Amino acid sequence: MSLADTLPSPRPSLRSAVLLAVALLAVSLSFLSRENPLVVFPRAWEVDLATPLGETMTFLARDFRIGPVQFSTVTRAIGWLISQPFELLAGVMAEGFSHYRIDAPTIYVPPLPWLGITSVFCLTAWWFGSVPLALWTGGCFFAFAVFGLWESAMLTLASVLIAVIVGSIGGIGLGILGYRSRRFNAALQPVYDILQTLPLFSYLVPMILFFGFGPVAALMATIVFALPPMARVTTEALRSLPRSVSEFGTIAGCSPFQLTWLVRIPAARQKLLLGVNQVIMLSLAVVIVASLIGAGGLGGDVLSALKSMRIGDAVAAGLAITLIAITIDRLSYAVAMQRREHGRADLPWHRRRAFGLSCTALVVASIAISPLAPAVHTWPEALTVSLGRYGNGVVQWIGTHFDAQISWLRDTALIVFLKPTKTFFLSVPWAGFVLVVATLGWILGGWRLALLGATVFLAIAVLGYWKKAMISLYLVALSVGSAMFIGTMLGVWAGLSNRAARVLIAVVDVLQTLPTFVYLIPVVMLFSIGDVPAFLAIVLYAIAPAIRYTCAGVRGVPQALIEGARMSGCDNRQLVTHVKIPLALPTILLGLNQVIMMAFGMLVITALVGSRGLEEVTLVAVARVAPGDGLLAGLAIAGMAIVCDRYVKALNRVIAYHLGLSVPR
Amino acid sequence: MEAQEKPSILECMDIWKVFGNNAQSLLSELGPNPDDNAFARHKLIAGVRGVSLKVRKGEIFVIMGLSGSGKSTLVRCMTGLHALTAGHMLIDGLDLAQLSDADLVHLRRRKISMVFQDFALLPHLTVLGNVAFPLRVQGIGRQAREDTALRMIELVGLKGRESYYPDELSGGQQQRVGIARSLTTQPDVWFLDEPFSALDPLIRRDMQTEFLRLQSMLTKTIVFITHDFDEAVRLADRMAVMKDGRIVQIGRPEDLILSPADEYIENFTRNIPKNKVLRVRSIMDARTAPNNDVALPAEACLCDVAERVITGKGHHPVVDAEGTVVGALHRSDLAQYLV
Repeated sequence: MSLADTLPSPRPSLRSAVLLAVALLAVSLSFLSRENPLVVFPRAWEVDLATPLGETMTFLARDFRIGPVQFSTVTRAIGWLISQPFELLAGVMAEGFSHYRIDAPTIYVPPLPWLGITSVFCLTAWWFGSVPLALWTGGCFFAFAVFGLWESAMLTLASVLIAVIVGSIGGIGLGILGYRSRRFNAALQPVYDILQTLPLFSYLVPMILFFGFGPVAALMATIVFALPPMARVTTEALRSLPRSVSEFGTIAGCSPFQLTWLVRIPAARQKLLLGVNQVIMLSLAVVIVASLIGAGGLGGDVLSALKSMRIGDAVAAGLAITLIAITIDRLSYAVAMQRREHGRADLPWHRRRAFGLSCTALVVASIAISPLAPAVHTWPEALTVSLGRYGNGVVQWIGTHFDAQISWLRDTALIVFLKPTKTFFLSVPWAGFVLVVATLGWILGGWRLALLGATVFLAIAVLGYWKKAMISLYLVALSVGSAMFIGTMLGVWAGLSNRAARVLIAVVDVLQTLPTFVYLIPVVMLFSIGDVPAFLAIVLYAIAPAIRYTCAGVRGVPQALIEGARMSGCDNRQLVTHVKIPLALPTILLGLNQVIMMAFGMLVITALVGSRGLEEVTLVAVARVAPGDGLLAGLAIAGMAIVCDRYVKALNRVIAYHLGLSVPR
Repeated sequence: MEAQEKPSILECMDIWKVFGNNAQSLLSELGPNPDDNAFARHKLIAGVRGVSLKVRKGEIFVIMGLSGSGKSTLVRCMTGLHALTAGHMLIDGLDLAQLSDADLVHLRRRKISMVFQDFALLPHLTVLGNVAFPLRVQGIGRQAREDTALRMIELVGLKGRESYYPDELSGGQQQRVGIARSLTTQPDVWFLDEPFSALDPLIRRDMQTEFLRLQSMLTKTIVFITHDFDEAVRLADRMAVMKDGRIVQIGRPEDLILSPADEYIENFTRNIPKNKVLRVRSIMDARTAPNNDVALPAEACLCDVAERVITGKGHHPVVDAEGTVVGALHRSDLAQYLV
């Protein structure tokens, strides 16, 4: 099949005719007055779906019964099931266990000593990774203790652990089903797409309804969020196994069960573990945001500090989140990439079990020493350093000394970039917008794409979210534009210079490890709340793939082509402009797709710093426990994100086709 | 010639494998011998077209074909990895299509095994674990299966590497593991799908020698797939050449070289050093009486007797294993095969 078959674009002559007509129509629409129903979507045409949807969900959560079984009993049972291992782990790592008795003193079993936990993590880092990783891990955990963030950090870690375990098991199960049945997999894809683009806050409301306010609801939200990527990774990992591995299993006479669990899953274990690494990072990001519905831990610390404008404390907790994120990322990566070596089976049993034995020994020793040296168990209060107090001081100092500069920066950004873009998006007639979206879709990918784009935006208008959606879209468009502009330039630089690449890729690595929530802290610290900090947070978060993909694209140009261009007489500048950048374009566009997705991911969080689009609706819905609005606004954001994704992918196909390249994946 | 007397253990009866939607019903509509256009019209891809062959007990049967010729598809039909679109595949008299899932599993566990081009070793198991794996899925106890596996590992010359992981071994060593693993269940029929294609030429040669050594000890029935005509000629008792899903010619390597069925086969045979393949028996003159006393064994390779024939005069007597004279050979008979 040639590439031309895969491009469903219309004929060029027809295409230009339609383009002209649409342009004329769109322009003429913008001359209409604002009273015209084609410019501002009339109230009378809007449909209130939020109220009935909310009522349905409340009914589900409160009164719905399947036969004699009340639905809420089922959800409560699930919640109880999840809460058991969580409470156990949280007790062991952070809070200890209290047993209250009416006529006797409360029995309190303390959690594991901090030194015990720290040494186990250090040992793990050394065993699977390296000495530097062990030192880094030890340093981080030591910092948690010294800065008085121990309990919160451990609580966060415990939540992540439980969410990852449950999420991975469920994800692998779904992934296997998706691998076995192509039809099942195809049916799940759009569900995964929506689940992955649905704003976090939209998850939270139904979770509150079903599981009540608290850590269990937060955990459930995290698990649901982490399931789709794990399922996708699993299906993909199984598919990418060499065909012969499955064939061998069959020829060896495996039953279907043996084929899955003895052959395929173990053979794909490395890719699965890398998937788990992704799930860990996602779970961390979500667990932190889920502090909004009572997850506690470091996210809770940041949130309460932000609420009372103790920015220094927020920064301290944010730093701790950063450290945890980097540590568990590197740690789980080291475990995933661990290479097996021969000779272990010949060792005596205590050497084969050395890792487990030493871990146990360290924990037991730390417990045994605790009564003699309490500092081993709990870091002494007197030696705790409050980073927050210094932080608050620093923030105040910045505030008083650089107020003028910061305000100038903020106001300029607002007046020069943000306000005009916002005004533009808000003044575009809805009918013209939908028309242009549809035409664009038709040109890029045929009528199916056009239908998708038009439907999503039409639905947004009908649901009464048009204005909010435009505010979201303006913020995303501006941030994506800026991130792409800066990111591609940095990426080209990194593509051409090895030294730049080393530094930039290291920075990008860290940027991509940080949970979304962390980005809010510095921007709030400097710019308070509003569209400017929201814009900056999105750019910071979304710039990483722009740099990474551009760099990879520029570096990925085949050596033979570069030599060919040189022999045809290109000088260095021509080599970059005529060969490297054009050939890197499909890869850069792949980056654009990632940038847009990440921008949407960050956008929903920026509601916390006062952005006013659809994301605000989802956040307000959490506070008011308004499931209908939260879900619909969330679906609207998800819809816009999916439309952007499909359009950019279609654009990528078209460009790659015109460059005569194969479409990158 | 003895091979012909042995019963066949594998039999392909007019096997068709066609990929695409509704392949089975479309194939029966298209009639007995549809052409390429008919397949293209229905968006079908024909992998194997009407292949019939018999593999005899204890012989090395090589299926040779270039990539896309359908040889891999054919071997997957023979092992039941692919369901047939049409035709019958008999192993030891059992029709694969008629077998229940449980019987098929039983057949695979006991009667057949396969070696793969890319080795298909399980990365999470040691050499020992890999070789013992087929016994493990049968539910055989650890001690028993590891004893058998260790014997197989020794057989392929990997003793001492039992606890290595596959990624610690070279390609040649990995394929030795693959071979050992396929022998642990003591199968009757041994399928090898391009087992040496992923190896360097020198290693490939060693592995072929090793393979012949193993076969001289085990005498399995072997179906060996390759894209390398030289390899086929070197290993085969009998061979089939495939092209576009069909078999072009079946026979002993000598038959193909002496009487290629068409130009396609001739293209392959042209560069084969014929004196290393042909035996005295196949080029001797059975009607002429010998007139000197330097006897030549009938089963000897031409290259081994060439010097004697060239330096000798007249017609040499050709004798079989019992010493009976079966024909004569003159140096002029030999000349054309020495290039």
